Amino acid sequence: MLQCIFFLSDAGEVMLEKQMTGHHVDRSICSWFWDYVLSQGGDPSMILPVIASPTHYLFQVFRDGIVFLACTQVEMPPLMGIEFLCRVADVLTDYLGGLNEDVIKDNFVIVYELLDEMMDNGVPLTTEPNILREMLAPPNIVSKMLSVVTGKNSNVSTKLPDATASSIPWRKINTKHSSNEVYVNLVEEMDAIFNRDGILVKCEIYGEVQVNSHLPGLPDLTLSFSNPSILNDVRFHPCVRFRPWEADQILSFVPPDGEFRLMSYRVKKLKSTPIYVKPQLTSNAGHSRISVLVGIHNDPGKTIDSITVQFQLPLCVSSANFTPNHGTVNILADKTCRWSIGQVPKGKSPCLSGNLVLEADLEKLHVFPVFRVGFRIMGVASSGLQIHRLDVKNTPSEPYKGFRALTQSGEYEVRS
Amino acid sequence: MFHQFSATAESLSKASSLVLRIGTDAHLYDDPDDVSIGPLLESRFDSEKVDALKRLLALLAQGSDVSQFFPQVVKNVASQSLELKKLVYLYLLHYAEKRQNEALLSINCFQKDLSDTNPLVRAWALRTMAGIRLHAVAPLVLRAITKCARDPSAYVRKCAAYALPKLYDLHHDEDNSSFEELVDILLNDHSPGVVGAAAAAFKSVCPSSLFLIAKSFRRLCEILPDVEEWGQIVLIEILLRYIIARHGIVKESIMFSLSTMSTTPVADGFPTFSGTSGNCQTLVGTTCDVNMITLMCKSYIDGQIECFAQTGCSNSNDDKLDLSLTSSTNDDVVMLLRCTSPLLWSHNSAVVLAAAGVHWIMAPRENIERIIKPLLFILRSCQASKYVILCNLLVFAKAVPPFFSQYYEDFFVCSYDTYQIRALKLEILSIIATESSIPIILQEFQDYVKDPDRRFVADTVAAIGLCAQRLPMVASACLEGLLAITFYESSLSSSSQIDGEAGVLVQAIMSIKAIIKQNPDSYDRVIVQLACNLDRIKIPAARALVIWIIGEYSVIGQIIPKVVPSILNYLAWSFTSEEPDTKLQILNTAAKVLLCAQGADSLAFRKILSYFIELAKYDINYDVRDRAHFIFKFMPHSLMTSSEKDNNSDISQNGRMHHEPGGKILNGKMHSSISSTKSSRIYLPGSLSQIVLHAASGYEPLPKPCSLLNTDLTAGVVNETNDSDISSGSSIEESGSVYDSDHSSISSDDGNESVNDSNDTESTALAVRNDVQDVREKTLVDVSNVNVCVDDSNENTKGNLSAFISTDLAELMPKLALESWLDEEPGVSSIQTTQQASSGRISINNLNCTVTPKLHSLLDPTTNNGLRVEYAFSYEISTISSMLVLVEIFFENCSSEPIKNIALKDGESSLSVESSDQVLGESESLLRTANVPPVLSTEEIASLDPGQRVKKLIEIRFPHHLLPLKLAVTCNGKKFSTKLWPDIGYFLKPLSMNTSAFIDHERQLPGMFEYSKSIDYKMWCTFKDHIEKIAPVKDDSSIHSDKIILLSQILASKVLSNCNVSLVCADIPVSFNIDDASGLCLRFSGELLSNSKPCLISILVEGKFSEPLVLTVKINCEETVFGLNLLNRVAAFLQ
Repeated sequence: MLQCIFFLSDAGEVMLEKQMTGHHVDRSICSWFWDYVLSQGGDPSMILPVIASPTHYLFQVFRDGIVFLACTQVEMPPLMGIEFLCRVADVLTDYLGGLNEDVIKDNFVIVYELLDEMMDNGVPLTTEPNILREMLAPPNIVSKMLSVVTGKNSNVSTKLPDATASSIPWRKINTKHSSNEVYVNLVEEMDAIFNRDGILVKCEIYGEVQVNSHLPGLPDLTLSFSNPSILNDVRFHPCVRFRPWEADQILSFVPPDGEFRLMSYRVKKLKSTPIYVKPQLTSNAGHSRISVLVGIHNDPGKTIDSITVQFQLPLCVSSANFTPNHGTVNILADKTCRWSIGQVPKGKSPCLSGNLVLEADLEKLHVFPVFRVGFRIMGVASSGLQIHRLDVKNTPSEPYKGFRALTQSGEYEVRS
Repeated sequence: MFHQFSATAESLSKASSLVLRIGTDAHLYDDPDDVSIGPLLESRFDSEKVDALKRLLALLAQGSDVSQFFPQVVKNVASQSLELKKLVYLYLLHYAEKRQNEALLSINCFQKDLSDTNPLVRAWALRTMAGIRLHAVAPLVLRAITKCARDPSAYVRKCAAYALPKLYDLHHDEDNSSFEELVDILLNDHSPGVVGAAAAAFKSVCPSSLFLIAKSFRRLCEILPDVEEWGQIVLIEILLRYIIARHGIVKESIMFSLSTMSTTPVADGFPTFSGTSGNCQTLVGTTCDVNMITLMCKSYIDGQIECFAQTGCSNSNDDKLDLSLTSSTNDDVVMLLRCTSPLLWSHNSAVVLAAAGVHWIMAPRENIERIIKPLLFILRSCQASKYVILCNLLVFAKAVPPFFSQYYEDFFVCSYDTYQIRALKLEILSIIATESSIPIILQEFQDYVKDPDRRFVADTVAAIGLCAQRLPMVASACLEGLLAITFYESSLSSSSQIDGEAGVLVQAIMSIKAIIKQNPDSYDRVIVQLACNLDRIKIPAARALVIWIIGEYSVIGQIIPKVVPSILNYLAWSFTSEEPDTKLQILNTAAKVLLCAQGADSLAFRKILSYFIELAKYDINYDVRDRAHFIFKFMPHSLMTSSEKDNNSDISQNGRMHHEPGGKILNGKMHSSISSTKSSRIYLPGSLSQIVLHAASGYEPLPKPCSLLNTDLTAGVVNETNDSDISSGSSIEESGSVYDSDHSSISSDDGNESVNDSNDTESTALAVRNDVQDVREKTLVDVSNVNVCVDDSNENTKGNLSAFISTDLAELMPKLALESWLDEEPGVSSIQTTQQASSGRISINNLNCTVTPKLHSLLDPTTNNGLRVEYAFSYEISTISSMLVLVEIFFENCSSEPIKNIALKDGESSLSVESSDQVLGESESLLRTANVPPVLSTEEIASLDPGQRVKKLIEIRFPHHLLPLKLAVTCNGKKFSTKLWPDIGYFLKPLSMNTSAFIDHERQLPGMFEYSKSIDYKMWCTFKDHIEKIAPVKDDSSIHSDKIILLSQILASKVLSNCNVSLVCADIPVSFNIDDASGLCLRFSGELLSNSKPCLISILVEGKFSEPLVLTVKINCEETVFGLNLLNRVAAFLQ
């Protein structure tokens, strides 16, 4: 059981503390934690998620510049703590429309109220976003304006959501909607590794079936794929019934209201990627040349946009200058270079070339950066997964159904 | 809110940024104390109170202590606004433990909210009430939980389950059975949400009471997929523990494989694995598995400490665990595995890992593989969980590498991984590499070697070494690669000074060393290559390693002996410029070479060594000097340079050398200690301990197989027969016997308590007690009272079996003992008994107790002109109104002059609303409506002569039974304000009743109307005083009865002089042991002044006269807050 949750900014400032049990945890644990972070290089994203401090075990999750720190003194599944912190981060992002230091501080009352509903005595209580939304109204423009005009602002619901009592805790009993529609989106992330010889070592798709449902009553949905056999691994939202999937690989479920992740899946061992990135580094006598070539490999049939190439200059590089023939290059303080290309122009392949000046006593580069590639393709599910049909039962009239697909880069990297 | 905008120019910029933050609570977080919070809390408007509370919350968030507002915040607990309530609860939960007394004031409100029609209000009230952690209200909370566990709303029931651990945490010395009962009820709830919460309660309240699971095991399994994800995690663990404790280890599972594998030949050991990996296992790999699994199995079941003790003294294969086995066709096992397998698809990675853990331990070996893919898939969740999952996978992979060998791609490192994740992936890769996958993995490693993170590069180099050791087939390829890295790195290291650079080279040479060690003869060329590059290797640690290798293998093969002399010459040349580490190694090497050298070389070596020793003797570093002396002393023969030595140089050098101590030390082969303690620490999959690699507090290994005995289960059956609606597991019901049904009938006769421990002694004790009770009820009324009294004590401290029996045995001969006692002291006892029957007031007079009404000072003569005013509470009852308390006021003139015009007035009129606002609760609001002036003052005293003392009786209406009343004393025209503190004991009036009426009343006020507290009472201190006071009693034989009467007198007088109640009876115990005071019970009764509700006080004494006694004070009263405060008061004055 978690005894306490702290929110820290990325500068180590404690923004919020919420004691979960009667055994109060002193704030000094945060300063111990921050000293530890500093001793590990000062980057909260790079330290261990489970730390044994002299007094407590700490779980930490770093998200959008905020450290979510939880303390416990007794044995508990660490994944439970971490998953819970991730869930808190998700819910807060959802409520506050993003996560950063200011938004947490500005809405600290809601954060407190949410944490209190989400956890009781160090054990998760209500984490289902739909129920939380009914218990505590998220801040929105209307409520904000109301609070300015009337000076009153109560986001606490006076009623217990019915769903807490039902056997399908993710949905309220009698949802009413003016719209009668359901959208299914396939959102895929492509993970790929090209080794230093330019060979594709590993390429797989991590995909999610995201559903946005605005259906009245208690609809019963059935979703089937035309080629479910390509799926290597699957994970489901609690609303999915296991039996139909086991028997016929059919997703049968009563959806929560609004947006949710119905299923995530993985398709492994793909053979090709839509774009190629070819970096080249040569070095001699204290000078190095770098050139990166980007192009479309297998045309997916839709435009590839938001192409970026990002890499970290090795520590031994003292200065660098780059000239792209397309797009812009930014070099950040921590020697991260980010080349934003956007779309690949017709008849020209984008190329970045540059000179690196090495530190004085270094002859040539001995370490080589890894290039991370980002892109987005609308309208394509690169795994090839196809939705066969979606049946909606138990609704008064046939709803509008929409389908979309999107592929974006996940952990897509090219070693040089 | 608008004042933010009507600001000066300086805050105008602030205002502009505020536009974006309009309507949020930003301004409250930024300056929470820009207005004074106190008045806001007192506001009439909810919105202002909300504002104030938000400010308090902001201060709390920023780490300031705002507990000083506690009294003001507590008052708002009664608010109807839910938002306000929520905020107050948030505040209360944070500070209640610090401010116990004030927090008590909120209890009435919680009680009221608990019967609210809105389930949300009920749930909040329960959560908060259980969360504020007040010892005094623990019985109330238990009562509330019991009520809420049967609430119609599932949410409230769920909160009741969550409240159980809170209460247990507060009060867990208490007997467990009431908790178990509640857990049992909640576990059998039909709503999956409640079951999940009940599982969490089970785990923290009674984790070892696995018999509770027995009867509903199948239902729990079936409901498992519908339970909320967090509940699933806990429930899975409980079910696994139950299965192990009930049925033992599954014969076909991996846990059991150790015993078959250590006995059967290795070749047959892995019949199922050869199919999975597609290629045969090497011998080394397989044996390693067995050891690992043995260790793992022991760790899971025995816990770490015992496990170390076992492996420490004997080799792991020798002693086998005595495991009780079951087959995988066992219905319960099949059921659990079937119901947990869909959970491998859960979107919560913690659930997946928990379900995988069950399969890992319970599933037949050929079915375990199904957990691998889901486990690998959850690696793709967030970074933080990746680390935890990999830590667990590492253990699995170590135990059975073939399971993972085809999924090596999933462990390829990518640039998004943190260092720790990379290190784990490398370790797993080096374990699971097979001959078919190693080329691809090595290819991958070659990429890693160029990574910018040098620590990671060093780890990669180590991993290459490990792979080469595991798969001799690739050893030479690896060695080549490592050599290349060595030369490449050594060419770089001269120039780069960055941290971590050195590590790669050192690690590379260490890996080379490890590979060479496996088969030194075939790698002599490698050693020579290293030696030739010695000049280029600049890093001292790396140089030292190379020099060690040369020394160790100086006689291997053909080439090495030839190059050794020149290497030593080179070292002799460079010795002075070396680092201490290297120097030490050079000395060792030179000595070793000399020991192994033969023929002509030895002379040259001897010269070089003496040269080294000469140099080292005068080294700056004392370690080097020590080493030089050490070698010199231990190798006297080889260092002898005199001519006589040359004569017998033809004797086999080797043979002689080894007789020297130095030869033994230097040539002794070191035993490799590859398995570090760190890697062999194994805890249950998914546990925190597995991640931090030590047993975290609260970590429990799996229960001993089949430790759940049938007797425990039958206890579960007893419960089960009472609960009609549960269908239970098949095997358990059969074990119920005739005896059990008898037993259950006894326990149900006995009434309320469920008997969890089916013990012969207890049941006989119960029977005996019943018999005795029957007999006595016919003969002696007084003694049966004693019996009832003992019954009460047993209800309070039930489960304390031994105490139970001993009191019962003592009662076996009550009649005899009582009679003997009557014979000894007939007069006293008869008086005593009559006194017991009569009302308390008379008995005081008769006993001649020192019942002196305690005088409290109201006005000190030193602070004014000589008037002393004192007060004492009167035992009389006001005739005007039930709200009034009579107080005797004594005015005394301590000065030398007469004081005139003395009057006592209510100080309230001049005071602010503040104190009247403190009025809280039900009875007080009644007071307010009654509209009685607070003080009914008497007429003025015109004059008071010096030394004169006047007594006046006034009637006072106190605002609250804890809060003082402000009074003003005027005399000689001056006014002195003072405070009159109420005494809670005088808010009662005596209520005379006989013993049976008392017990009737007591029965009507059970559970939440009953509060008890135990205090230690040192008898002897006060006892001696009384001995002296009561002079006539001298007889030794009567000392026992005197003691007990004295004690009751002391207690009675203490209670009666502090509370306005009447003594109902004093039950004197009868026992053989004259030192024993256990069982003495004093009963007092009174009724509340305000509403005439009865209030009962019982004091139970336990212990011996020679030792500190334990007094248990019990109060039964409908007014909970009043009762609790009275309890505290009684406990205070008794001490």
